[in-house]
Amino acid sequence: MGLKRFILRRLVEIAVIFFVIMTVLFILFRLAPGDPVSRMVDPSMTPEDARLLMESMGLDQPVWTQYLYYLKNAATGNMGVSFHYGEPVTHILLNRLPNTMLLFTTSIIISALLGVFLGKIAAWKRGERTDTLMTIGALFCHTLFLPWLALIMIWFFAYWVGWFPITGMVSPDVWIDPDAGFVVKALDVLHHMALPLMTLVLIHFGSYLLVMRSSMLETLKDDYILTARAKGLDEKTIRDHHAAPNAALPVVTTVGLSLAFSINGGALTETVFTWPGLGRELVFSVSHADYPLAQAAFLLIAIVVLLANLVVDVLYAYLDPRIRY
Amino acid sequence: MSMGGPSRWCRLIVFLFIAIAVSACHENSRPHSLKIGLAEEPRTLNVWLASDANSRKVLSLIYQPLYVYDPDTLDLVPWLAESMPVYDAQTLSYTVTLRDARWSDDTPFTSRDVAFTGNLIRSFQVPRYASNWRFIDRIETPDSHTVTFYLKKPMAAFLSGTLSTPIVQEKEWAGFAEKAKTTEKPLATLINHRVQHPVGTGPFTLEQWRQGAFLHLKRNPHFFGTGKTINGRLLGPFFNDLVYSVFGTSDVAILALKKGDIDMFWWPIQPGYLSDLSQQKKIRLFTNEKSALYFMGFNLRRPPFNDVALRRAVAYTIDKDFIVSRILQGQGTKMYSVVPAENRFWCCTDLPRYGDDMSRQNRLKTAYQVLVDAGYSWAVPPVDAVGNLQPGREIRLPGGQPMGRFTILTPPADYDPHRATSGLMIQEWLRELGMPAYARPMAFSSMLQQVKGNHDFDAFILGYGRLRLDPDYVRNLFHSANDKSRGWNMSGYHDSTFDQLADRSTSELDPLKRQALVMDMQRLIARDLPYLPLYKPSVVEAVRTDRFEGWVEMLEGIGNIWSMCQVKPVNYDGA
Repeated sequence: MGLKRFILRRLVEIAVIFFVIMTVLFILFRLAPGDPVSRMVDPSMTPEDARLLMESMGLDQPVWTQYLYYLKNAATGNMGVSFHYGEPVTHILLNRLPNTMLLFTTSIIISALLGVFLGKIAAWKRGERTDTLMTIGALFCHTLFLPWLALIMIWFFAYWVGWFPITGMVSPDVWIDPDAGFVVKALDVLHHMALPLMTLVLIHFGSYLLVMRSSMLETLKDDYILTARAKGLDEKTIRDHHAAPNAALPVVTTVGLSLAFSINGGALTETVFTWPGLGRELVFSVSHADYPLAQAAFLLIAIVVLLANLVVDVLYAYLDPRIRY
Repeated sequence: MSMGGPSRWCRLIVFLFIAIAVSACHENSRPHSLKIGLAEEPRTLNVWLASDANSRKVLSLIYQPLYVYDPDTLDLVPWLAESMPVYDAQTLSYTVTLRDARWSDDTPFTSRDVAFTGNLIRSFQVPRYASNWRFIDRIETPDSHTVTFYLKKPMAAFLSGTLSTPIVQEKEWAGFAEKAKTTEKPLATLINHRVQHPVGTGPFTLEQWRQGAFLHLKRNPHFFGTGKTINGRLLGPFFNDLVYSVFGTSDVAILALKKGDIDMFWWPIQPGYLSDLSQQKKIRLFTNEKSALYFMGFNLRRPPFNDVALRRAVAYTIDKDFIVSRILQGQGTKMYSVVPAENRFWCCTDLPRYGDDMSRQNRLKTAYQVLVDAGYSWAVPPVDAVGNLQPGREIRLPGGQPMGRFTILTPPADYDPHRATSGLMIQEWLRELGMPAYARPMAFSSMLQQVKGNHDFDAFILGYGRLRLDPDYVRNLFHSANDKSRGWNMSGYHDSTFDQLADRSTSELDPLKRQALVMDMQRLIARDLPYLPLYKPSVVEAVRTDRFEGWVEMLEGIGNIWSMCQVKPVNYDGA
């Protein structure tokens, strides 16, 4: 099977899976107890008011009618209007998506680079104190409870030492100031991003380190490493130019999928650092039964993950000439 | 995979740190800017959609009503109106004279705006406001400063409900409202309209909203109250900028407050933070009461709680002092009526106080006696032959059949630890009487569905955190007409006397006569106990004292329109 046919077949599969996910999401939210209106009313409102509210949200229609509207709208790219924001959900999600991608994509890339760098050193020095320290350190950091670590980081670096802002993505003082230019604003975002980024890297680099170390140990047993040594190449060249690029292949897969999943943000990270991303919106929309927003957010995650899987498969074939479709 | 030269990486990191440090040194160029922390971001600036507290915290400073509550007396006082409304019994009308005011876009505020607002609510049936406008027959505007409301029938809610509706500008909304009427769903179109530049008469106007980050309000130069003394208070605002920032958790908001990043955290402070905050020299705590009701409700539609004697015995068993002192850690007060005591005009104070100030022994013995008198019996009674307490076992109903296991539904501890823990304690107290009580924390939405939608429950603990001051909700909560799926009468209380009193209270315009009716309604509820009022938590708020002063305390705390009009920078020189 050629690559083109493989991609076409996968695209058809993705379309079917996507339709199933859409339907399951719709059913799941309708099966969940409670309704969006119950938390928007107070005892001064009459049942008539609540009925009008339901009607305005389209929830007075039979479920089948709602489902058909949902499919019809989704087919035209209209994912509906948020019950609480009163805005098209695509507008809300597109507003939050760049924030999530900025933080989480950066954290995954830095974590992966750090993990690969330290992983190859750990493998190279297998059994030595450096290897032991790195492996234990990676395991320790990876198992830290994220909200706890985040609060400790905020308390120490933002409150006690005062190097970073406590939370948020921007400083109102900077963004309100009409004299503040693009560079100042960009640096302000970087300043706010530093703490959540450090926290995420601390939590995640360990997994890449362990994958890289394990892969590198396998690679070092291969014949071409022995050949390189026989050719008289120095150890650093063998490590960095012969072993590491091949050993990094499993990391590429992990990074690809992590990047895809990163768009759901980390609800915990975004909550503690008040980072205005998709993760917080997901939590809000689910807890407040904002069906259109929650459905659209999950669908966005689903489509990105499905497509990322396809991209990783294709990338794998590109990186490893032995793999052909 | 080459990692690049270490020195190049080092240089890049050092450069980034320096650049970030430089940006961190950006000076605050707005010394007169009040910074407020919110627990959640406002969701919308559309006043017809806003149902969340944080949106209303912003909108209440932009859109203004004709009358507001005085912070000390809780009486309605003229705000956009110049004086109290004049009632004409013959024509069943109220005439309101308006203050000389201007919108934030410098156009005059007139009676046409008031009439437009009322007609918009009535024609679109805007859910949050419609119930206060359905009884309006027509609105007339004899001149630009006079508006007359003709009522279809006398309605007590007119003063507190209708006249405290925020007024919107005809110029801003008229065009859109006309377009919305031509759509398939006019109401949905109206409430989903994206408002980016709200025009109001309030002390502040929107300058910038960066969604997810902050919301910046500026002083409205056309605010009618500036420099005037209204209700004995000289109004500002005395600062130019008001910035709302969002904090995902209370922990970080309190760190920001201690560090000086914000001047006020507009959210109740949990008891766990109080000892730390009270030791901070530059932080002041304000404790105020809430217009709230946290209660235990019973299902009167089925046994065992269809028996008033059992409900009274439960009332005697519950130790409200324990709940307030131990569960709320002293940050709350006991409740005896469904109307909070701070709502002084409407709260009935001569109600029975079941079990109040009694020792545990006396409470249990009294509850036991109430049950014995009603015909209940036990395999092992909770009080032995000589009057000593013992663990009761296998209580039997008056008919002789064993009392079946019943559940007390509560929200889960992560949603509200107070209610969840209260449920557990009540379970234990009832078991001392031999009752097979089981507290069951349940997801809030599921609980609402089960209690309000399906009426499938025995007992529950719920609360209303923000009751309006007008007591009309008492009618809504217990009128037999509201005993239906999704209706407010969740207990299924039916009493014809109560219904008559409630119906009369809605149309009684004389405040004193209405007060007497509302008091009688409370007496009936306290007698029949469909709801057993438990407690209401206090509102503890924290502000910094080194930059601003002059906060106005009232029911619900210091976050109110009066505070925002009276707070001044420390050492304010009038500039």
